[in-house]
Amino acid sequence: MADYANPEVLVSTDWLRQNLKTPNVRVVEIDVDPKLYAAGHIPGAVGWDWTTQLNDQVKRDIISKEDFEKLNSEAGIKNTDTIIIYGDSSNWFAAFGFWLYKLYGHKDIRLLNGGRAKWLNEEGAPLTTEVPKFERSQYKVSSVDGSLRAKVSEVLAASEKKAPLVDVRSPDEFTGKIIAPPGMTETAQRGGHVPGATSIPWATAVTNENTFKSADELRAIYLDQKRLEPSKATIAYCRIGERSSHTWFVLKYLLGFKDVKNYDGSWTEYGNLIGVPIEKGG
Amino acid sequence: MDHSARVYDDITQMFPDEENPSPIVRLNRLVPEGSQLWAKLEWMNPFGSVKDRAAWAMVRDLERRGELGPRRPGRGIVEPTSGNTGLSLTAIAGMRGYPMLAVVPSKVPEEKKVLLQVLGAKVEVVPDALCPLPGSEDGTIGLAKTHAKASADRWVMPNQYANQQNVEAHLRTTGPEIWRQTQGKVTHVFTSLGTCGTVTGLSKFLKAKNPEVKVIAVQPSPGHDVPGIRNVSELDVSQLYDPKLVDEILEIDFELAYTVAAELARHEGLRAGPSSGLIFEGARRTARKTPVACGVMIFCDDVFKYASNMLKHVPGLVAEP
Ligand SMILES: Cc1ncc(COP(=O)(O)O)c(C=O)c1O
Repeated sequence: MADYANPEVLVSTDWLRQNLKTPNVRVVEIDVDPKLYAAGHIPGAVGWDWTTQLNDQVKRDIISKEDFEKLNSEAGIKNTDTIIIYGDSSNWFAAFGFWLYKLYGHKDIRLLNGGRAKWLNEEGAPLTTEVPKFERSQYKVSSVDGSLRAKVSEVLAASEKKAPLVDVRSPDEFTGKIIAPPGMTETAQRGGHVPGATSIPWATAVTNENTFKSADELRAIYLDQKRLEPSKATIAYCRIGERSSHTWFVLKYLLGFKDVKNYDGSWTEYGNLIGVPIEKGG
Repeated sequence: MDHSARVYDDITQMFPDEENPSPIVRLNRLVPEGSQLWAKLEWMNPFGSVKDRAAWAMVRDLERRGELGPRRPGRGIVEPTSGNTGLSLTAIAGMRGYPMLAVVPSKVPEEKKVLLQVLGAKVEVVPDALCPLPGSEDGTIGLAKTHAKASADRWVMPNQYANQQNVEAHLRTTGPEIWRQTQGKVTHVFTSLGTCGTVTGLSKFLKAKNPEVKVIAVQPSPGHDVPGIRNVSELDVSQLYDPKLVDEILEIDFELAYTVAAELARHEGLRAGPSSGLIFEGARRTARKTPVACGVMIFCDDVFKYASNMLKHVPGLVAEP
């Protein structure tokens, strides 16, 4: 059985249990539902609210380099730390956090395979309501890796030249039957997808335990069935950029694609633009 | 216990069992000719639904095992619930002096969220699954489990999705009640699927009595908006579901849950809730195909908790006529 292209970016729940007290290992929780952290989290984990702490509060954008430095410094995180990220919904926003850390150049960042749900269901995996206190650090972003992020102009160019675009939303969002999953506040003026995009819902990549499928299974889906090619520049998008971070992670780190970008503007940007081409139906 | 005078020292004496069954009532107007369909009126239970049975069994079991009660002072109950289990647990917890935390999905009607508070629960609302997660737990289960694990001194979680007492309750009460009420003549049982305590317990009991009894489950169409019940595609959260115990699963367009509930109220005098509407529609379709000699339908709760959903789904209703 083949292994993932970059197996070191995933840790198992067992590994984390054994390394909770290892110096320089820090744990960060990022959930779709921020109530979860307060109710209980992995001992020592800090919890971030994606709506208020990972996004700029004035313009629509990810937090700036300065705010990212501040967030990490206040949590006492050092540039040399090994950071383990986990969260609910099979690590949707944890994957978004992972992407953000990579964008801002953190060296050693890893995802907890299976996320919060797997930890929660394991016997002897501790949870606490205690919020840890850490001495302030001096976290510095020395380089920003723009090659991980697609802007809308790149998406339009990719669509035009029929370069691979992966739409990871649900089939009904892809066809334009619905604009957003029920109850979601962020939406768009128009439904459908970027012309030429391939529909591969994000959940295709995970098992019933919320862990990632094996390298062989992932290859069978993304390469054999869906005909993506690791050597081709590929862009993933969803609605607000969190589910696509999950697929971006799969393509880049588990399958070893050379050049994958996450289009974090996603459908809530694209579906609101005037004059851009939209395809509807399957 | 003498139930004939209906005089009780304590409301818990009114919980249903073979001696004090919830009523079964024959439908006379909406049933295809040649069939007999009986509704088992679970809203007649003390706290208004079928879930009184599971809640009472689970709390007593926790007390017997010392997980709740004098040996665990200050400890309360946390439970993920679409409302009915929460209402039953909250009422019982209130009488016993236990704190109660109900974790409900946002889709649950406002009426239930308010009633839970009226009965004394603290309520936490979790956004509904944003897009179907494969096999992963629904948000309410995750949050309730987190409380029970991170604050075990404060909360114990009965967990109706995995607790065998939920099945036992129906083996001990609902099954024997139906057997006795129909004098062993029951041929079909129609239920819905939520935690599946009802269908599993009932099927085990009745099939042991008579393997010919048909157990038919009625499920709402995918993407439905009917609290308390699930489409089979959503069932992996329940550890109590055993497909071998179900003879047939009928899928009904979920909007009919609401319109048929109104039909039952208007023509049969039965103030049935939406899951009962769905069950009746399934039973009626079965009876149209082949006569049902003695069918019993579990009418889980009444429509009073669903006024806001009825407004949304039943044409012609207006909030301010
Ligand atoms: C209104 C309603 N109908 C049906 C059911 C299903 O019963 P069970 O959980 O035993 O499958 C429930 C249970 O949650 C309910 O609240």
